[in-house]
Amino acid sequence: MKLLTRIGIAVLTTLLVIPFSLSAQENEAEAAEESAESVEPRVPTEPGQVPADIDAATPGLMPLEPLEDIPDDVLVIIDALPDDKAEFVKSGRTGAVLDKDLMFKQLLEAPADAVEAYVDAIMSVYDQVQYQQGRDVDQIELNTHSPDFNSWRLRRPQVLNPEREPGPISLGRYLGGGSGIPTFAGSPVALTPEDLTAGEVDVAIVGAPLDMGSGWRDAVHGPRAMRTLGRGTGGTDVATMVNPGNVLNIVDYGDVAIDQLSTERSVQEVRSVVREIAATGAIPMIIGGDHSLEYPNVAALADVYGKGKVGVVHFDAHLDTGRGRVHLLDHGQPIYRVMKEAHVRPEDYIQVGLRAHYAKSYYEWQQQIGMNYHTMAEVERRGWNAVMERVLQEATQNTEYLYVSFDVDVLDPAFESGTGTPVSGGLTMREAIPIIRRLCAEANLVGFDIVELAPQLDTGYRSALNANSLLFACLTGVAMRKEGITEPGFISELSSEHGQTDYYGDASESASADEPSDNESNGEED
Amino acid sequence: MSSSVIKSNPFRSGPALCLLAVLLASGSSTVSVAQPAARATSLSSQFPDLTAAQADFLSNQDNLNQFGLTPGKVAVQLAGRDSDGINAYINALMETAAAAPFQPGQDAARPVRANGIEEPLDVTADAAVIPLNPDAGNYNRSRVLKPAIFDEYKREPGPINLHRYVTEVGGIPTFANAPVAVRKEDLIAGQIEVAFVGAPVGLSSGWRDSQHAPQTLRGMYGLTGFDSYGGVDPNLELRIADFGDISIDDLSPELNMPHVREQVGEMLDAGTIPFVVGGDHSLMYATVAAMSDYYGNDIGVVHLDAHHRAERNLDHYFSDRVPVSRLILDDLLQGENLIQLGLRGADLDAAEYAWLQSQQVHYHTMAQVEARGWNTVLDALLAEARALPDRVYISFDMSVLDPAFAPAAGRPVPGGLTTREAQSVIRRLCTENDVVGFEMLDVAPYLDVSYQSAMTANHIMHACLTGIALRKQGVIDGNYLFPDAVNNGID
Repeated sequence: MKLLTRIGIAVLTTLLVIPFSLSAQENEAEAAEESAESVEPRVPTEPGQVPADIDAATPGLMPLEPLEDIPDDVLVIIDALPDDKAEFVKSGRTGAVLDKDLMFKQLLEAPADAVEAYVDAIMSVYDQVQYQQGRDVDQIELNTHSPDFNSWRLRRPQVLNPEREPGPISLGRYLGGGSGIPTFAGSPVALTPEDLTAGEVDVAIVGAPLDMGSGWRDAVHGPRAMRTLGRGTGGTDVATMVNPGNVLNIVDYGDVAIDQLSTERSVQEVRSVVREIAATGAIPMIIGGDHSLEYPNVAALADVYGKGKVGVVHFDAHLDTGRGRVHLLDHGQPIYRVMKEAHVRPEDYIQVGLRAHYAKSYYEWQQQIGMNYHTMAEVERRGWNAVMERVLQEATQNTEYLYVSFDVDVLDPAFESGTGTPVSGGLTMREAIPIIRRLCAEANLVGFDIVELAPQLDTGYRSALNANSLLFACLTGVAMRKEGITEPGFISELSSEHGQTDYYGDASESASADEPSDNESNGEED
Repeated sequence: MSSSVIKSNPFRSGPALCLLAVLLASGSSTVSVAQPAARATSLSSQFPDLTAAQADFLSNQDNLNQFGLTPGKVAVQLAGRDSDGINAYINALMETAAAAPFQPGQDAARPVRANGIEEPLDVTADAAVIPLNPDAGNYNRSRVLKPAIFDEYKREPGPINLHRYVTEVGGIPTFANAPVAVRKEDLIAGQIEVAFVGAPVGLSSGWRDSQHAPQTLRGMYGLTGFDSYGGVDPNLELRIADFGDISIDDLSPELNMPHVREQVGEMLDAGTIPFVVGGDHSLMYATVAAMSDYYGNDIGVVHLDAHHRAERNLDHYFSDRVPVSRLILDDLLQGENLIQLGLRGADLDAAEYAWLQSQQVHYHTMAQVEARGWNTVLDALLAEARALPDRVYISFDMSVLDPAFAPAAGRPVPGGLTTREAQSVIRRLCTENDVVGFEMLDVAPYLDVSYQSAMTANHIMHACLTGIALRKQGVIDGNYLFPDAVNNGID
């Protein structure tokens, strides 16, 4: 009996509703046309301006979509509810509680006298889910009575050391270099901006051991693993015959203080240290630590070089454009926060190596705001070399300055098991080394990071060796640029051709390219 | 002080031990109090030009500790300096130390960004609070429970057995191979006695992998079967369920406290003994608080750990360094009702021992085990536990074991218990006392490439299940051992 009644009503409403459904479809079609039009002539973001559509797809800030395709028999049930409850159901807010198809099914199944209680339950849970001022915590209180409130980031006064002239501190006892104290790339140590300036330092490598990743953690030990392994960072690069250690003044700038219980507190200390390095003209190379660091690193460079003046190439298996979460920053959200604060334009953001399982809506939004993304799907379709050339072109076309952020999980886990959120199907070292070397040589690099090295996940040396080798590839690029070698894709004639025969038939074609001159030193790696 | 120590000292029976205790107590009092003052006097006599403020600053060892200095080290540093250099050195120390406390207003006086763009993290390094993002969509979603009314397929409440076969050891991994209770109603309907729950928070101040402990322990042997010592199969004897995981915020220990406390409280309200698998040791605050909420703060806690977890006055109110002091200072636990075993971490310095003593905590360090021998300490601890309030909670941190037995501890320290010692003390505690909850914390699986730590952790929990099962059978003597396991019947 009840069933029959319901079918009867359903038939009736189907008839009644037809005109409305038609007009709804028309509206939809119009909306689709509008959005198709609005995508086409996207207005470029002005430097220093927040991108217009930055929150077009941010949970909590994006416009709520009313429920579509409500079946007619369900609509009858909804319309029988008191107005406020019917409006609630149609508004789309139920999506925060349960899937709409399940709700339709359960509305249909519910006895007539239980429908309202069912909707009340949805509304009650919806209310629990939403932020409510006064009920929900919106900040974490710290203990301001602690006598050590600031101790985690207090700088040690230099006057406590023996008096010395400013400049990099060499830790070596022997004429031949080498010291036994593990430093990045075996470099001397600098503690202050004055040391950087006095030493005319080109590159300051600094550790930032923030350990707040969402997968396996151990990024806290990334800097230590790279320093203590040492191997991979010295000598002459075979592709270019450039020895960055001879060309550049490189220092180890120690570690940035970190509060391991708060990403939020830590990143502003990182930002101030990176800023103080960049302000001396040196290139900061930040060794993480998790990928939250991209935010303070890039913000610091925008502080020094200007908002919208720096482009970023972001190597990663992950998009890192997460947004609308309870925490303002984590290792999945740095790009959103950088763009949200207008440090970098979406047009100047280039992502490479993406392949983690992000929803379609992420890519749609990235396209909408004008980002340049390069997935492993593009690599599968076009081949690595084509993608690499495109990235190099994009990296230099809009901005004068470039920052490169290298999440080691862009590499395949075969090369880099020591990372917190690995994804299969990534880059090989033979793909990663050339693109890093070329970006650091062919663009005006002002900063570089290597993040997410989690050495505990690798029982061997490989992950740290590869991270060091990528650091070396970028140092090589920076050294090439200092030497004036910016020819795209430069490869040493000497090292790439023994010249005893003309096997490739190209001896007659061109005179040998310029070779860098001052690499006769004994700086080769053991 | 020393007399009160001896009064509460479980070793007071023998005169020799009593003498030893006096020696230990008087010895410890000479370590930290007298000497620094004497050295400071010599500092100001060595450097007579010091101002009163400078001399005063240097005379307080707490000030020097911040810089890793002693009066002797300061003397060496000052020796080669002229008076300007001495002033610069000491003033730098004083200015730096003065900057250590929170400076009111230090987070306020920032220039407004010229472009008016909001940078909500801009002052966080200095601020009194950490801002969150209330604009976040579905802000509380991860912690809101799903009512049964939204289940797509309805079922009666009760634990769900996930086994296809009558005897099944693999399949869907659950704690103790037990059926699953999704909701509190399932625990109640099944009259569950012991409910396991995971709380995967990985914010240890050591290696951080305890967020993977629940899944690792679910996938490992050792938590089922007949126990040879107790002669009982607790899985047969007890109604056990796996209550899934408690939702965790993995970026803030602070944000986890209310929800974990509430959920463990719900488990108690359902009549179960919660077995909480962490997660790092910050959880202990929430779990013991839940016990205190439910049973009143007159509960006993036995805490096995390399670390005392009672640091105070840190900038964060909650972390794995502070649960014990927070519980005591928040009056959720009385210090005299706390027994600690296995302490040996470097975070315990003289001031920390003094604080534990001031709170009348019954602590048993590995130094004490070295001095008295394991069996003596074990007997004393069991006697103290029997004298605790009726309801006892056990907090087991993996670091109490020696790294040889359990490398997968977030904050390992050599020189710990053997597995045999730990199993024995846990089985006895759970037999002799009304254990109302148990937690296994800071197991960090990736530190162990083998199965060893995970299996050991499960065996420790199984030892407590055995005790609870024995107790249910009426055995309350911790010395009970299954006769057929002890004697082969031939001799």
